[in-house]
Amino acid sequence: MNAELAGRLTLLALLLHPVGPWPVRAALLGLAGLGLLWPRALASAGLWLAVAALAALRVALDWPMSDNHAYLLAYWSLALGLARLAGAPEASLARSARLLIGLAFAFAALWKIGLSPDFLDGRFFRVSLLVDQRLAPWGQALGGLDAEDFATLRRALAQHVDGPLPRPLELPALPAPLALAAALATVFTAALETTLALAFLVPLRRLAAVRDGLLLAFCASTYALAPVEGFGWLLVAMGVAQCEPERRRTRLLYLLAFALIGLYALLPWDELLAASPSSRR
Amino acid sequence: MRRALPRWCELLPALLLVAVALHQIFLARTEALSPWSGGGFGMFSTTDGWGARHLHAFALRPGLRRELELPEELIDPVRRALALPTEPRLRALAETLATLPTPDQGPLEAIEIQVFARRYDPVTLAPSGELLRGVVVRFDER
Repeated sequence: MNAELAGRLTLLALLLHPVGPWPVRAALLGLAGLGLLWPRALASAGLWLAVAALAALRVALDWPMSDNHAYLLAYWSLALGLARLAGAPEASLARSARLLIGLAFAFAALWKIGLSPDFLDGRFFRVSLLVDQRLAPWGQALGGLDAEDFATLRRALAQHVDGPLPRPLELPALPAPLALAAALATVFTAALETTLALAFLVPLRRLAAVRDGLLLAFCASTYALAPVEGFGWLLVAMGVAQCEPERRRTRLLYLLAFALIGLYALLPWDELLAASPSSRR
Repeated sequence: MRRALPRWCELLPALLLVAVALHQIFLARTEALSPWSGGGFGMFSTTDGWGARHLHAFALRPGLRRELELPEELIDPVRRALALPTEPRLRALAETLATLPTPDQGPLEAIEIQVFARRYDPVTLAPSGELLRGVVVRFDER
């Protein structure tokens, strides 16, 4: 039941957000349509191994440019295919889903906490809330910046520099609410991703509710700020696969999260945030 | 009845994830791979995405060093060189750039390519450009 729903959500994600160069995209769309319309195809290992092979081909052709969820799609499709060849497909897929989610968050947390030189000191969010196209509408609204101040800060941060600047740059101070939001986002993201990794990698059955709660909270919060719906939908599909069978209400929440992530991607954040009370545009 | 796969096979996707992610960390440490790229889940962990990097290419002729304008059709190899500026990749790009016409006279001596990453001061956020990789590919000794 969970495996079937997880498979359908994965194929739906492929249909809603086609990926890869056109021959790969066309083949993936064909397989997604086939799986959604024909239950025997959905249940066959062949369909999923073909999806995995195409997803891996896409990553190889685009090396090293693919986003991380392109890799995750290949691993997850392989897991879906192998589970259908296993003695107990539902249990096998649940274990794979837990491992893949846990490992993806473990490496994400490792980069943020241990490897990146500019995450924990808050630089990533202080800069990205102004410069990154996806996060900037939030930065402008949270900072209460008018369009001119925002553009000045943004130009200064994104300027083309070879070596050090000839004169040290005196940037206008970041507005206190923006600096606070960046600090909170840094701590919240690092803590949530580390907790998610631990919850999914520690093999204790009593953590089931914690896992689901954390993953749903991550999907509901992160993808409003960073609309990477392809990644979010994959996480939801994997979340469904590992959800305990008796937790029917949680499964429903995963479906709502799938819809919410799609809605986030459609919302005109620029306009909505410009109309927010804190924005001075 | 069909024989089921052995249990260890279900670990294959997770093992692949770990192998690719460790390889990504290795390349980020040794070949300046952008942490956003390469399948190591380093996205949203640093400002050093490939889009925040840039490169300069120069054609060197006797007494002249001219910066080359990168043509549209080279967008793809340039993007890849920004994300993972390995020496072979930069050399291949230099070979392509050597075929571009310039208004200058004289034999082409070399193509020089420099890849920069934008860094931010931890306190003031003042940006600076750090040279990640530079290569000079000589053509006058061939």
